[in-house]
Amino acid sequence: MSDFKIAQREKDSVNVLELKGYLDAHTAPKLEEAFMSLLQTRRFKIVVNCRELSYISSAGLGVFMAFIEDVRKNEGDIKLTNMSAKVYNVFDLLGFPLLYEIFKDEQDAIRKFFEKSK
Amino acid sequence: MIKLRRIFFLASAFLLVLIKFTIDVIGKNVALEIGGLSIFRELTVIGTFVLLFLTADATFRRRDQNPVRRLGVMLILMVAMIVISVSLNSMPTGGFDAKNLALLPLDYPTIFVASLEGLAFGVFTLLVLQSLRDLILYQRKKGTFRNFLILVGLILIASCSAIVQKPLDTSIFTSIFTGLAVLLAVVNSFRLPWIVFLSRREKIYTLIFTLLLFLGFTVINTVLLHTSAASRLLLYYSYPLKVFIDLVTTFGNIFFGLAFVSTLFHLPTAEAFDRKRSEVASLHNLSRLITQVFDFNELMETVTSMTLEVCQASSSWLEIIHTGDESVEERAAAQMLLQGTPHRPVLLPAEVRSEGVHYSVQLAGMKNITEREIWEIMASGNGNVREAVMVDLKPLVVDDFTADPRLRHLRKAGLKHGSLVVVPLVSHGGLLGILYATKEAKYGFVKDDVDLISTFADQATIAIENSRLIKKSLDRERLFREMLVAQEMQRKLLPQMLPKFLPLEIGAISTPAFEVGGDYYDFVELGNDKIGIIVGDVSGKGVPAAFYMSVVKGIFQALGKTCSSPREFMIKANEALAGSIDKHSFVSLIYGILEIGSGTLTLARAGHCPMLHIGHDHVEYIRPNGMGVGLSRGPLFDGAIEERTLLLREGDVCVLYTDGITEARRGEEEFGYERLLQVAQESRTDKAAGICQQIMNAVKTFTENQATHDDLTLVVLKWSGHT
Repeated sequence: MSDFKIAQREKDSVNVLELKGYLDAHTAPKLEEAFMSLLQTRRFKIVVNCRELSYISSAGLGVFMAFIEDVRKNEGDIKLTNMSAKVYNVFDLLGFPLLYEIFKDEQDAIRKFFEKSK
Repeated sequence: MIKLRRIFFLASAFLLVLIKFTIDVIGKNVALEIGGLSIFRELTVIGTFVLLFLTADATFRRRDQNPVRRLGVMLILMVAMIVISVSLNSMPTGGFDAKNLALLPLDYPTIFVASLEGLAFGVFTLLVLQSLRDLILYQRKKGTFRNFLILVGLILIASCSAIVQKPLDTSIFTSIFTGLAVLLAVVNSFRLPWIVFLSRREKIYTLIFTLLLFLGFTVINTVLLHTSAASRLLLYYSYPLKVFIDLVTTFGNIFFGLAFVSTLFHLPTAEAFDRKRSEVASLHNLSRLITQVFDFNELMETVTSMTLEVCQASSSWLEIIHTGDESVEERAAAQMLLQGTPHRPVLLPAEVRSEGVHYSVQLAGMKNITEREIWEIMASGNGNVREAVMVDLKPLVVDDFTADPRLRHLRKAGLKHGSLVVVPLVSHGGLLGILYATKEAKYGFVKDDVDLISTFADQATIAIENSRLIKKSLDRERLFREMLVAQEMQRKLLPQMLPKFLPLEIGAISTPAFEVGGDYYDFVELGNDKIGIIVGDVSGKGVPAAFYMSVVKGIFQALGKTCSSPREFMIKANEALAGSIDKHSFVSLIYGILEIGSGTLTLARAGHCPMLHIGHDHVEYIRPNGMGVGLSRGPLFDGAIEERTLLLREGDVCVLYTDGITEARRGEEEFGYERLLQVAQESRTDKAAGICQQIMNAVKTFTENQATHDDLTLVVLKWSGHT
């Protein structure tokens, strides 16, 4: 099975998760863990960079759904950026653009957080 | 039947006794010189005792299997015999007149007493012979029974040779056979294997009993049978019987004399023999462990109770150790095994940290000790025996509780233990548990005990591990069966027959990736010549997806008929599901309603893959906007759902599918929308079922028949138009 990796970094108090590889039922728990640790340390401003995400399954999409409510309750958000056309198509089929803000570029997403807080 | 025969024997014997008595009474007054009368008189005696022997043998067979008991019974009989004989001899009788080597009774009481004495001694002798036979035949070998038969034969020949003799006569013939019989009696008396297998306690009893029996028979032989009064009574009663009695009691005398000496020599080794024997028995009992692997709690019981047996310990207990490096599942499985055990760990520390190892202890079984006591044994400031064994993984012996720093604190508590042995149960997977045994005495465990208990611990380890493995495989088997049932049930949730709505042709296939899956398709007749076609996909796979799939089926069955438009259905389905569905699960649906009269297909899509429409002159993925069911409640969802309407023309094909089709993979490559479109277009002239099959084949060829990792569902509609 192709593997899946998450790199985490912080930029201007926004937490960026960089996803790489295949996100499916097998690898979804990794992403879940990453979200969980962010939420436990009360970091709610999250950007998920999908530049190197090559595939996402319905189980992978479910991970975002599991945390969005909590994150938004705490005045944070999960924003998605840099999706390939194929990955975007999966999000789009399910109507995710109505639920999440999706940006072309990570920088735009980070900027959006600060616009809001002003 | 046997009882009847016994009564007959007894009655006949009694009759013979009466006949003989009558002959004797008459013979006192009248000198009956009828030829052969004296032989007839002896024959009645022989007949009497043969019948009595048959009766006794049928009555007392197998009564006392234990040799010691048998000895006790004989002792009682012998004492009774001596008492009877002495009291009969002291009766005031006239005695005999010895004339011509014959004995003539001087009065009737003499005849009567002689009869009683003869009967009593005869019966006693028979019982003695019977007991001796059983003792000699104990653990018989090839020649044992033969030797015994020769002895009995010689005794009988010697006895019968006396038939024609007068009471005070002796013959060389009788003497020879008597001598031979005594020789054979000595040979038979060396058959004493039964002594070896007696326990020490039994040997002590045997020693006393055999001594008393030896003395008793000596008294009978030298005093009773040779004082003139008693011997004359018997000689008068029957010469052959007297010979018989003499020989059998001599045999008894020799036998018990030798038995006494033999027991005496076996006594010093009795304890060691006992120990070895119990070792053998314990090791033999180990096989019991193997058969108990099906019940874990019972196994724990057996291990602790056998520990007591193996080394005669006063108490024992067994702890199952769960170390930190055990996976969560393994630990859960192990604890499952112990559920329902009567001894739950209450006082024991559930989690302990020792030398950086995290472990938990479960008390699995205990004998003659309480949890409180165990807790006290471990509650020392200087480390405890459990941890010592966990570190060394070797048996630990504490000879003296009061001298060991780890147990010295118990002195005040006044516990009843003197010494202790602790043995780890080590399997290839590491430490499984720890077995403890204590004795009240200090220095109670010798090296043999420790070796034995270690061997036993090894066997117990294997049994415990087997028990766990069996439990695991049984669980797996059960799950497998349940999954098969679930699979069968889910198959029945999908349409069993495709509806016939000419001119609409339908083809459908659905295969889950695992036993059960989250894909769904269904049809509903809506009246007014309308038919609803739905395809859905629950996020995720396997059992959780299958649960929601059945919920979706329920919702479709309930709402499908009440909704006139696909959009309305989607909105209501979302209302119904959004409240109950798990946060990170959702369902994608695509629902179309086809009017048979006009060929109008109205379509709504809730996050599902777009429908492929192959028309006359164009090919298109129809993708009205929408959102997955369960992702959002209320207006956001409702606003997202769009409807599209298209008019089908003759020969049009619609392909509804789940993402398992388009996302079927070969390495990095996906089957994709383009291939699906191509295959569908190439096979469009086929019937609906044929198109369905060709698309499936194409997917399988593409993935090179590798197992798909997602559920695959395909519904093909073909519109033949109105003719």
